[in-house]
Amino acid sequence: MHIPDGFLSPAVTLPAWGAAAPLWYWAVRRNFGTSSTESLPVVGSLTAIAFVVQSIMIPVPGGTSAHLTGVAILAFLYNPGVAFVCESLVLLLQALFFGAGGFTVLGVNALAMGLLGPGAAWLVYRALRPLWPRAAAFAGAYVGIQVATLGVSLVLGLQHRLEGDYMPVPFSVMLPAMMLPSLTVVGVVEGLYTVATLSLLRRARLLDAP
Amino acid sequence: MRPRRLLRPISIPWLVLTALALLGVAAPAIAHEVLHEVERGRATAVRARFHDGESLADLQAEVFSPADGKVPHWKGRTDRNGWLAFVPDVPGKWRVRIVDSTGHGLDTTVEVAAPVSAPGAAGSVTETAPARATSLASVLRPLVGVALIAVIFGFLYLRGRRRAS
Repeated sequence: MHIPDGFLSPAVTLPAWGAAAPLWYWAVRRNFGTSSTESLPVVGSLTAIAFVVQSIMIPVPGGTSAHLTGVAILAFLYNPGVAFVCESLVLLLQALFFGAGGFTVLGVNALAMGLLGPGAAWLVYRALRPLWPRAAAFAGAYVGIQVATLGVSLVLGLQHRLEGDYMPVPFSVMLPAMMLPSLTVVGVVEGLYTVATLSLLRRARLLDAP
Repeated sequence: MRPRRLLRPISIPWLVLTALALLGVAAPAIAHEVLHEVERGRATAVRARFHDGESLADLQAEVFSPADGKVPHWKGRTDRNGWLAFVPDVPGKWRVRIVDSTGHGLDTTVEVAAPVSAPGAAGSVTETAPARATSLASVLRPLVGVALIAVIFGFLYLRGRRRAS
């Protein structure tokens, strides 16, 4: 799902950086102050796990592969701002040290995978949690990754319309290529992963998880 | 009784002229003949794959010459093993783009050494990493990432505890 460097023009990457930078500042100030010190081990562990699950490629029909994001759980346990900062950190490390994604596209990737996805997941989770907590976690994670994937495909489609030299694949081809694996495989696995992780955390008495 | 002659005999000069005219018509057809030549070791080959070894197979790809960054020098698709190959005509940094319809891909530069006109001289074969190194990297990568995240959060935790006390 990561957009690599060179696939988006400055007309797209610069506004994304402009939108993401103040959100990073606000989210870090609000969620990573001195008062949140005791939650840092759990947040750090979940961020590290998110990094690992994003390194695992899942084969999907059509001869390609996809990966989970694993950050919806941070939005459920804390808030979407925490998920945004942690996913941005994962993306930054991947871009700087491992050649995945890229620095110029960091704003776009962070907004899509770190804010839109976990934000949608959190909204669904909050709405359904009073009815059925585990189903709410599954549905939230499922919807979250669909929204993130849709966000990435919309940006790439916009880039194709603005300057096709950067992204030669049209939106009509890209949308089904991205959404079908996400709807059929990745979303289900992301939902199961999130429910299982919440269950493990509850059994380990690390938190009052559903 | 002699049989009646249906056609007049063709004289030698007319025969030569007709043959020359036919040759004149055939000459353009010969000009469309496609010839080919084979030179070993002139192409630059690039293979792209994900960190787990999966090839970027059958994907749209473009190669841009250092002399022209706008119009692709080569366009095509990677083969089933994720390879593409092009024949550079100038030395320098050649830009290679491979685009997956799912938003993944590669955008990198490949250094081509001079002189490219000498047969065999420009036959640099570039891989992103040897297979063994790739499999090792696929194991080490998550561990290194986890270690970096642990260092960052460990630092934040210790700093927070120190400030609280």
